[in-house]
Order: sequence, then structure tokens, then C-alpha cells
Amino acid sequence: MTSIWNNYQVENSCDELMLSANQPHMASYGLCQYLDVLDKESIKARKTAAEHAILEMGISFTVYSDEGNIDRAWPFDIIPRIIEQQEWQGIEAGLKQRLKALNCFISDVYAEQTFIKEGFIPSDIINTSKNFRKQCVGMRPRHDVWANICGTDLVRDKNGLMYVLEDNLRVPSGVSYMLENRVITKRVFPELLQNIDVLPIDDYPVQLHEMLSSIAPEGVKQPQIVVLTPGIYNSAYFEHAYLAQQMGARLVEGGDLVVQKDNCLYMRTVQGLEKVDVVYRRIDDDFLDPEVFRTDSCLGVPGLMRAWLAGNVALANAPGAGVADDKVVYAYVPEMIRYYLNEEPILPNVETYLCSDPEQLEYVLAHLPELVVKPANESGGYGMIVGPHATAKEIADFRKVIIANPRNYIGQPTLAISTSPTLCKDNLEPRHVDLRPFILQGENIFVTAGGLTRVALRKGSLVVNSSQGGGSKDTWIINMGGK
Amino acid sequence: MLSRSAERIYWLARYLERTENTARLVSIYMNFLMDMPRDVQMGWVTLVHIIGGRDAFNKLYKSDTERNVCLFLLTDLNNSASLLSSLSFARENIRTSRELLPDEAWELVNEMYLFAKSGQDNILNRRERYLFLQHIIQQCQRFTGLLSGAMCKDNPYGFIRLGRSLERADMTTRILDIGTLLLAEDRSNQIRQYESIIWMNILKSVSALLMYRQQVRSRIKGHDVLTYLLKDTSLPRSVGCCIKEMVTCINELPNHNNLPEYLQVLEQYLNQIKINESSQLQIHEILDVIQKHLGEINNQICQHWFLVNGQPLASSAQQENS
Repeated sequence: MTSIWNNYQVENSCDELMLSANQPHMASYGLCQYLDVLDKESIKARKTAAEHAILEMGISFTVYSDEGNIDRAWPFDIIPRIIEQQEWQGIEAGLKQRLKALNCFISDVYAEQTFIKEGFIPSDIINTSKNFRKQCVGMRPRHDVWANICGTDLVRDKNGLMYVLEDNLRVPSGVSYMLENRVITKRVFPELLQNIDVLPIDDYPVQLHEMLSSIAPEGVKQPQIVVLTPGIYNSAYFEHAYLAQQMGARLVEGGDLVVQKDNCLYMRTVQGLEKVDVVYRRIDDDFLDPEVFRTDSCLGVPGLMRAWLAGNVALANAPGAGVADDKVVYAYVPEMIRYYLNEEPILPNVETYLCSDPEQLEYVLAHLPELVVKPANESGGYGMIVGPHATAKEIADFRKVIIANPRNYIGQPTLAISTSPTLCKDNLEPRHVDLRPFILQGENIFVTAGGLTRVALRKGSLVVNSSQGGGSKDTWIINMGGK
Repeated sequence: MLSRSAERIYWLARYLERTENTARLVSIYMNFLMDMPRDVQMGWVTLVHIIGGRDAFNKLYKSDTERNVCLFLLTDLNNSASLLSSLSFARENIRTSRELLPDEAWELVNEMYLFAKSGQDNILNRRERYLFLQHIIQQCQRFTGLLSGAMCKDNPYGFIRLGRSLERADMTTRILDIGTLLLAEDRSNQIRQYESIIWMNILKSVSALLMYRQQVRSRIKGHDVLTYLLKDTSLPRSVGCCIKEMVTCINELPNHNNLPEYLQVLEQYLNQIKINESSQLQIHEILDVIQKHLGEINNQICQHWFLVNGQPLASSAQQENS
């Protein structure tokens, strides 16, 4: 019998499960041993079972393409990624620290702007940020929290350290896949989860509901909570429906909502109009309210900003929160942590070169073949270039793009991001992974146990986005204490 | 409950009921043909007439063969009334109403849709087709059972029952039409010998054979079957019972205003029907009138509770397909 571990190699980066080719980390010992005795047939059977489960559960995401939008089954790798609980506790503390500081920063941006006035960040960066909304100046959301839901992308470099790659503060997605991945793993490896202490994750919808309740306008006892979706053609529609269902909230579209003369938000029901207190909106600021932002938007609700500014409805995340979700602003987060919290950052940033700064721009242009260059305000892995994987022509073309709009670009060294064993045909092979934990802040602050591990399924690829051929894995935070 | 959700869930119930009834219709017709002697000229195309799809059929197919009729009724997505179309509309509606229904409801419908989609090649063979239809009927029944065991008896469930009852009443009149059409045709002298077999199959197709025997206690005759399936108010698939159920649902739903009056009109019409005194042709017309009433009630329901200005999902999905 040949093991599926045959020829597994730990190459030029860290591996999440293995110390070396034949030596698992302590935390992954149980899993590796279990997989070692499974023959190829049984592993194949598990894989097929997972695929069936995905189809039947209808877990899908939508891909935009020329031939129209296609609903694709969620690509899932059955081999989990493992993190030891002790390490995780450090990461969790770092994530909380980071989101608190970011929320202090956003509050400051829309109020006194002391951070800018004291010269910690050039005012230009804020003034030219697409996501700075002047309409929000002077607003104070409850608990002074603007970014209530955050998905932070983490990667592990060659030195074994976890770095923050970006903070997603607008409408981060992926949490439903994190939850469904665990449901599938429970179906596929029930015996494993019985013998290993994996921290549960399924309280997320409850935590989300509690957080949303905590930001309802003051005096509202049992707030009416809705999830606002752009509709079935959005790539994350599955998630919007899933979260609404799990929370017992209403899933609404712009057309279901209306703001009346009293500046309150209502939904159209079979009984007539019913007041709404909290909106978990999954629509970008731009489309939220045609009275204030893009006038051609038919996804949003005319008057929603009026209702929000009057304090009659809570929006999560608050409009304007995206000002801190800008890859240029990212570079200043460690400084924010020191400034607002008077603490040293627990999680490091990836070294970042700002093309808005002439010296740094020069460095970036001179080192394009080694760097990753990203636009400041895009998500989904669009519009970026990975120097070591790009052709000379691609680099030359991208150089022009950067020079045309330097404010919009940042450069970072290409990290040797870690790999994790992934089932490819019959064998396990290393594939690059990142991690997106989700952090909730309202009255309290909460971090998911683990998060969504995304995996670049193509050999050698560093791009993990599902829209670009990425898949995902279940993520296990393992408690070694009891064993 | 959101108007949009009410609309989606109402159509979800209608489409699933239509799925189940289409499966019942084809299944029973197949069964019935096996009982007929070979020299009785019986066309599959009768089924196309019953669902009112002759024009659509002619556009898509050249000849009235069993193969073409089965494709048209079961898996052709170009026919917006086919079983697979109904199922895909149902799936689209439930996908957008997941927050109102138990988890398993979505999984069940999704599974059924995947099954029907993958079964496209099998339905050409009668044995496989029989198994295909059985599975669909069973899954639809599972769905009905699942909801009745898991949902509160409030508005969402009210709209489901309403949609289901309306569709069911409509389909029962169409199934009854099989009998009148077969017996009314010129060649029917020969078929008439098989009359009781026809009506027995019709009773079976609406799961009513046992109840008929227990309650009507007569030989199976066309007029008795028609009267029973139209006027009885306790048999779940009889038109009278469906209307009674609709009245209950509508009265329990908020802001029903003058809607119950429309149902009273239909109830009165049903009460004055005298099947024994009607010719086959007249019966066919009676069934037509009932269908028109049901169509009007549907329009009233839509105007009452659903978003009139917004694009209703069900109709937009249909437009895309036709």
C-alpha cells in the first residue's frame, strides 16, 4: 500500500502541517497519522462524498464572465489546515488590537482628525481616498465603532511569522463558506473530529446577531434586523441568504425598503410598512443611497443616509468605514496601534512601499520583477501584478499603469507564503494558503476560532481568490491541553 | 413578512405542486396506455392539450411522438411549463427565500433539481421514466411533509398553502379533462368500453381511489368521479376541498379585504354544477370556467400582497426561458 504522503515535499516556504517531509507538527500529528493509513480508494471516497455534499447543500458562488454569470460549486479541499491553540491566542489578541485601533482611527477621521493634525499620516492620503465620505463627518455610530465586521487576511512567511496582508472593512465575505466547510468536514471525517479537540466555530451567526443587536438605536428592545443584499446576481448572494437564515433575520433588497418623511426606515410587508432598526448591508457605499452617493444606483434605498445620520437606523458596516480599508492607509496601522492604544502591534504588517511617495515609487519601479503591486482600493485579486510570475511585457505595461496613478498603488515584497497539504489527484501536494479570520466589534469584540483558509489550487500559484481559481479548506484550531 | 418573500414563497409552492402534478399526469397516462389494447388509437399528444401547450409544442417539435411529448412535458427547458422548468423556478424561488424555510427544504429541492437535470436521458425509456416520475413524486411529498412538520402556522406557511391549493385545484381540473377529452373524441366508441379504467386511473392519479371506494361506494362511473373530484370538500385534491383551504388561508392572512368574495363566487359556481345533466362537451367547458376563475383569483392575490411595481421573480424567470 502506498501512502498518499508519498513524495510530499516541504519546499521553500513553511508548511502548515509538516515540519519537514516526514515530520508533522505536534498539532497535526493526529491528522497525519490518520491520513497515513487511509488507502487511495478511501480517500477518493471521502473526496466524492464531500463533492456530493457541496452539490446537495447547494454551496455555490457566482462567477462573472462573458457568457453571463455562472453559479459554480464551491471548490473545497478535504484536508484541513491546522493551527495550534496557543499560537492562535496570540493571533486573536493581535486581530482584536488591530480592529480596535482601526475603529479609533475611523472615528478620528470623521471627527477631530488628531492623527492627521499631529502628522502621523499625510492629509492628502485621506482627502484623496475613494472611501472617505465627507457626508459622514460629525456622525457618531454607537460604541464609536464604524467597522463592525472585519475580515483580515493573514499569511505566514518563510520565517514562520503571521503577517497581516490586508484589512477588509467594507463588505468582507467568506464567513458562510467557513461555516459550511466545517459542516462538510463533519460529514466526511466524523471519526477524526471525535478524537481531536477542534475548537467549534458554529456560534458565529449567534455572535453576529448579538453584535448587530448591540448597535441598534438606543431604546430599541428587540431590534428588527435585516440583511441587505444586491440580489441573486451578486457573487456572494449565497452568503447573504445563508447568514440571514442562520440569524433568523430578513433578507431584503433595496426595493423592499423605504425611508418615510419621519427619517425612519421601513420594509414593505404583507401587513404594510414595518420599521427596521439594524441593516447588515452587503452593498458598497457607492450604491447605498442614490440621494447621496451614485444617483444611478437601483440597489440601494433613497434616504437611507438621512435615516442613518438621524440615528434612526444602524448600518453595519457604517458608511465611510472603508476609509481605513485602503492599502495605502494600511501602511499606517502599526502607528495607529501605538497612537490610539499605546500598545506595540502584536501582528506585523508586510513591508509596504507607497507609490504616492516619490522615493518609494522609484524603488517599486526599479524592483517590479520581485514585488507584488496592488491597487489601493480593489478586492478579489483584480488589477494586481505578481512580479516573479509576470512576463516582461506584463511588467512593462503595469509600469505605465502605476506611473499614471501612483496614489492608487502599493508595492510589497513577494512573500514565500506557507503551503498546506492539499489533495491533488491521488496524492497530497503542497499548495499556498492564506487565512481570513472574521472579527466582530459592537459593544464587545469577538474573533472566529480560525477563519476561512483559502488555497491556491494551481501549483505554484499565490492567488487564492475564489474568482481566480482558488479553493478553500476547513481550519482547525486544536487544543493540545486535554491530550 | 416581506411582500417579496410572500410572492416568492407562494410561487415556490405553486411550482412544486405543478412539478408533482406533471409527474402524476405523465405517470398515470403511461399506466393507462398499458391497459389499452394496441388497436385503440391513443395519442400522447392528448397530454399536451391538457396543459394547454399545443402552440408551444408545435414550435419545438415536428411530430406527436411519445418521445417528443415526454421531452416536452418533462425536461425541455424551452417549455416553461415542463417539469424541469417548474422545478428550476421552484429552486430559484427557494434559493431566494432560504431565511424563511428550514435548511432541509432548500437541500431537498436542490437535490431534486439536480436529479431531474441528470435524468434527462433516462426518461425516453418507459421503465426508467416510471422510476424517474416515482422519485419526483416522492420527493415532492417529502417536501410537503417536511414543511408541515417544521413550520409555524403563520404567514409564510399560509402563502405556501395558498399557492399549493390554487395550483392543485387547477391541476385536478386538467387531469379530469383527460377523461372528457378521451371520451368526447370521435373514436371514443371503442374507448368507451374502457371507461371505468380511464376513470380509475384518474382517481389513482390524484391519490383518491381508496377514498372514492370508501365514500362513494359505487361502481366507478365518469359522472360520479367528476362530481367527487370537483365538489367533495374533504378529499385533499378535490377542487372543492382546495377552495375551502384557500378560503381558510386567505382569511388568516393579514389585510385580505374583499378577496374572500372572489372565492365565494367560485364556490357558488361549483355548487350549482350538475354533472349528471351535462354533456361531455359541457363538462369540458365547466372545467375551463373553473380554470379561468382560478386565474382571476391568482391575479387578485398578486395585486393584494405582492410588489406590483417591482419585477416579480417568477415571471422574470419565465420570460428568460421563453
